[in-house]
Amino acid sequence: MKNVYLPITVDHIARVEGKGGVEIVVGDDGVKEVKLNIIEGPRFFEAITLGKKLDEALSVYPRICSFCSAAHKLTALEAAEKAVGFTPREEIQALREVLYIGDMIESHALHLYLLVLPDYMGYSGPLHMVEEYKREIKTALDLKNLGSWIMDELGSRAIHQENAVLGGFGKLPDKSVLEEMKRRLKEALPKAEYTFELFTKLEQYEEVEGPITHIAVKPRNGVYGIYGDYLKASDGNEFPSEEYREHIKEFVVEHSFAKHSHYHGKPFMVGAISRLVNNADTLYGRAKELYESHKDLLRPTNPFANNLAQALELVYFTERAIDLIDETLSKWPIRPRDEVEIRDGFGVSTTEAPRGVLVYALKVENGRVSYADIITPTAFNLAMMEEHVRMMAEKHYNDDPERLKFFAEMVVRAYDPCISCSVHVARL
Amino acid sequence: MSDKKIRIGFYALTSCYGCQLQFAMMDEILQLIPNVEIACWFMLERDSYEDEPVDIALIEGSVSTEEEIELVKKIRENAKIVVAVGSCAVQGGVQSWEKDKPLEELWKKVYGDAKVKFQPKMAEPVSNYIKVDYNIYGCPPEKRDFLYTLGTLLIGSWPEDIDYPVCLECRLRGNTCVLLEKGEPCLGPVTRAGCDARCPAFGIACIGCRGAIGYDVAWFDSLARVFREKGLTKEEILERMRMFNAHNPKLEEMVNKIFEGVKE
Repeated sequence: MKNVYLPITVDHIARVEGKGGVEIVVGDDGVKEVKLNIIEGPRFFEAITLGKKLDEALSVYPRICSFCSAAHKLTALEAAEKAVGFTPREEIQALREVLYIGDMIESHALHLYLLVLPDYMGYSGPLHMVEEYKREIKTALDLKNLGSWIMDELGSRAIHQENAVLGGFGKLPDKSVLEEMKRRLKEALPKAEYTFELFTKLEQYEEVEGPITHIAVKPRNGVYGIYGDYLKASDGNEFPSEEYREHIKEFVVEHSFAKHSHYHGKPFMVGAISRLVNNADTLYGRAKELYESHKDLLRPTNPFANNLAQALELVYFTERAIDLIDETLSKWPIRPRDEVEIRDGFGVSTTEAPRGVLVYALKVENGRVSYADIITPTAFNLAMMEEHVRMMAEKHYNDDPERLKFFAEMVVRAYDPCISCSVHVARL
Repeated sequence: MSDKKIRIGFYALTSCYGCQLQFAMMDEILQLIPNVEIACWFMLERDSYEDEPVDIALIEGSVSTEEEIELVKKIRENAKIVVAVGSCAVQGGVQSWEKDKPLEELWKKVYGDAKVKFQPKMAEPVSNYIKVDYNIYGCPPEKRDFLYTLGTLLIGSWPEDIDYPVCLECRLRGNTCVLLEKGEPCLGPVTRAGCDARCPAFGIACIGCRGAIGYDVAWFDSLARVFREKGLTKEEILERMRMFNAHNPKLEEMVNKIFEGVKE
């Protein structure tokens, strides 16, 4: 008698941002097909902002994603400023990076503690962990609150910041607030390190071990960070951000509102682990030491290493923000904003969002957006994510389907996908 | 409150997940946990079920696929109280900015000739498909919007809509007027309050993320004079207001009021 196999499906992957599902089709010879269904509707962000005034479009772009709205705002802003031929002063650039780091800290803390950790601790969600894991939940909330507060002070709020504008900021916090920020960041360092230690103890599933091509932004000024004008791949290739389309091709797959991307014809990965793989030589401080002593765990060959890489970045970016604030304070008082003349032009910005490379390409004509292309980290990652879910499924398809579903979801969660982000959808 | 736990579901349609994130990020949520049972909240809870009965259904996001129409109907059937949360659920959200353009045109710009196996549609507010009992406004809502709404519902009362503009809160805060003194196209005078004039307090013009004030009490006349003096055209005002009000059936009428309500 021939076996009949029903697809193993997760309709709605829990504890990720956005709506996606997994479908695993098993046949007599093993796993036949693995699909990540992105079921969240399209939002046409590029299409709806075409022909719109630049400042209004810049207010709309962050709404692509709440988990990384500062990343979207600041990347869109940089692309817009490059397009009109404006370069912000160094101290403005430094404060924007602090705002971006606020997003990084909040996002990493949220992902690690509330979305990932429950799997390892045997809970269906973080709200059930409150009693037994008081320290973890408190650390999560403290780090999350710090990130949110930084965004409140520098960006006007933690979600959809309006205070970062063309030419600088609408208003800057008082000097005393920046000093307080420094103090609170210093206070958070041990908590970030605690997070790193906690995550060194968690299992990295070897089922998904294998070669991965990593792409990350090459850090500006040779210091590990968020901004950069070149993209760097782990195969040694480097190219200017403007040339992203020559190396990375996007295409539509029928089971997803989000497009997939290939680098030179193959899936690739972006994210915290990709940043470390490509740019660890630009780390400094405590994070550098932690990296050196835990290289064996921060493997370029395993997507689960992304969790630990995020934890390492909590340490790094906390220290980095302190330095950036010092740099700003040494020039205090500073002017919040410069006049920007809106000229015609084209600009590409590539930055490191919490989940990896984020690309904005904007063309401005007569003060309005005449071309927009946005590619988000999750859209870059989807093809690779599907590969890793397949690898996991191939090892576990004979297991109890519930167990298989759980492992598949864990792989997806390790990528920290922003599914809403990926469904912004880009121009072909 | 009775001993019986209140069952809450937080459901997502198409959105940026910002309303849920705002809710999840509230430390106050820890105080709520002993009194409620979460039946569905995929963002934080793996044991989530979209088709279980709940006392309060919170819906984030706009209806943007055919499947989501079915989902909201199912949520309505299962819920005693339905609350639309945030600009997408209440007004369709920024994804409705070009609501009058054909979907095919937007699709083509983004996907070319490619097709996917799901059915997309133009983003719409939840109330276009089901009866919504209460709204939480904002993109994202303020934390106190959640506290107020859930607080009142949990004690058996109900939340009231705010019927005064951001402009009022801004004046009470003593901010420099972004519109009059800086000459920027601030929508504060016609936007529903509740954010404590967050953006104008940073010297940034209000983009109207909480939507136009209801009950037709918006102060359009005074805004009209200034917008006109600034040289804004009716189209420019409409464009700006459509970011968060594209589905408001009275939008054109209200903007016309801005232009017609001014004595030359």
